[in-house]
Amino acid sequence: MKSQFSNTMEIRWISSAALICALVCLALSSTVIWSQNVPQVGQKPAPTVGAAAIDFKLKSLDGKSVDLETFRGKPLVINFFASWCDPCREEMPLLNQLASGSNKDGYTILGIAVEDTRAAVTQYVEEAELVFPVALDLNSTVKRAYRIFGPPATFFIDSRGILRDIVIGPMTPERVREGLKKAGVAR
Amino acid sequence: MKTNPTGISGIATLVILAASSWTLIAASIPSHASVLNFGVEQPLGRSNKNPAAPFLRFGPDGGLYAIWTEADDRSALQANPAHQHESTMKRAPSPMRVAVLSSSGDDGKSWSPPKQVNTSVEAVQGDENGPKVAFNADKKAFVAWSIPGEKGDITRANIRFATEDGKGGFTPARTLNEIKDTARFPIIESTPENTMLVAWIDRRVDNPIPRSLYLMRLKPTGEELTKSYKVGDGLCECCRLGISFADNGKTVYMVDRQVSEKQIRNHVLRKSTDGGSTFSAPVEIADDGWQVPTCPHSGPSIGRDARGYLHTAWFTLGRSPSEAGLYYAVSKDGGRTFGSKQLIHANTAAEILHVTMAAANNGTVYFAWDNLDESNKSQIFARTLATDGKTWSPVQQVSHAKANANRPALALSDHRLQVAWTETDGEQSRVVLRSAALGK
Repeated sequence: MKSQFSNTMEIRWISSAALICALVCLALSSTVIWSQNVPQVGQKPAPTVGAAAIDFKLKSLDGKSVDLETFRGKPLVINFFASWCDPCREEMPLLNQLASGSNKDGYTILGIAVEDTRAAVTQYVEEAELVFPVALDLNSTVKRAYRIFGPPATFFIDSRGILRDIVIGPMTPERVREGLKKAGVAR
Repeated sequence: MKTNPTGISGIATLVILAASSWTLIAASIPSHASVLNFGVEQPLGRSNKNPAAPFLRFGPDGGLYAIWTEADDRSALQANPAHQHESTMKRAPSPMRVAVLSSSGDDGKSWSPPKQVNTSVEAVQGDENGPKVAFNADKKAFVAWSIPGEKGDITRANIRFATEDGKGGFTPARTLNEIKDTARFPIIESTPENTMLVAWIDRRVDNPIPRSLYLMRLKPTGEELTKSYKVGDGLCECCRLGISFADNGKTVYMVDRQVSEKQIRNHVLRKSTDGGSTFSAPVEIADDGWQVPTCPHSGPSIGRDARGYLHTAWFTLGRSPSEAGLYYAVSKDGGRTFGSKQLIHANTAAEILHVTMAAANNGTVYFAWDNLDESNKSQIFARTLATDGKTWSPVQQVSHAKANANRPALALSDHRLQVAWTETDGEQSRVVLRSAALGK
């Protein structure tokens, strides 16, 4: 007959073995589950109308640094586009027209080229005779911060840097007027 | 005998914990989890030429062929005026690029010196619109690619074509689309009857916007066998096409992204039973319901196994963010119907993803795609679907790009899977290849 001491030892041994088994199994299962769900992307908050626009640092086509502070004090229209994007090309005359009147109405337009190359954007800017500054988001960091699935997308920001309106997809003249009005442009 | 009640309940708890953990493991590990063991990364092309947009294919000689684009050394001033607007010839950096072809006889370990395909200076396009290669029965390479239209407009483009000239080079390129500045997103395939089938998305009728699907047949010599002809309408304007053959080329399957009047962009299968002359009405693969006003530049992929099953994979954002991701569906009745879609990998962030797949004869399906990693960089991932059509391997991360890795290409032989992709970091790009041995 086993003593109570040996019974206790046996229970402890079984407990330890079961614990190790459980921990190994838990570790394995969590590894498998994690690997099936990778990647988990830790993202910053999405751009929100009424909140401060997300800041960025990019280079313009001519190599100058561009960030939100550069444009502070005037309403800003940011248009994300690509040279290969059909609807972007279709709305460019409208943006060019806006840019032509921007000095008079006191706002600025900035084009941000996404998923593109400097060579293709340079050629496109000349081809489309764009009259507003263009920055290059070569690594898609700004595109991702602004949560854009694909171009075109346009953001209207007021003179204090607050995001006032978002247009995902092609713009219409009516939608532009609405966005500008929300950003504080009196036209 | 006295026992310790705490000990007994502790053991019971641990046993239950262990059992439930094991259940979780069993549920998570498929019975045939074909985790692929990828070899080291191998860069393709000349690093100072910013290689990009790879496409892979096994040739009839068993060799692995890769085609990609590189920056063109030659001055843009030499550009062919027929294809480049005069005003685009002054500036730097040059958008001019060449397509280059290379082959490997040892499963991708070593490669032949890249051979330039296009002799004229032109801006060979990449990304969704990159060059493609196919081989006829005489092992001759046929290459199709896209260049911008006359005014340099990428969206009003042309399909160019060249074939090996038998002297170690390529024939001078010619434009296939008869209507100028209307065609892009070419694919080229050799048919079992040794002709070449070229397909593209065509915008010769510019309004209404949904594009047309055009095909053209070429002789084994590369000469024109047919003029281009329309076989379908309603295509999303910028999404790569997919193609597969059956019945010695009599049956042709094509997949594309459609766009409805309400801008819903679901994928469809088109079937031809007369070798690609005419196609049936499109069959919807899945009702994703993704309503989006612009083209996502992410086309579907199709493959057929020896059982005749048609496997398809695609990207959609679905009707809500929780549905966004890459999906798979199979047709077991020759494309008449498709089974319920299965999720390959969910979107981890707001990003257009790109998927490609290859079906082995035994029905195993291999997938590669891009998605964001935990540091918000785009990387290449892969996984396998077993022959039972429901057992998935874990998702594997294949690339470890410093900035972004995009648009994978796959090639499958009976013993290896090859994956290539483009990595970009600022103004630099490179093409990377990895391969994995397949289990028996």
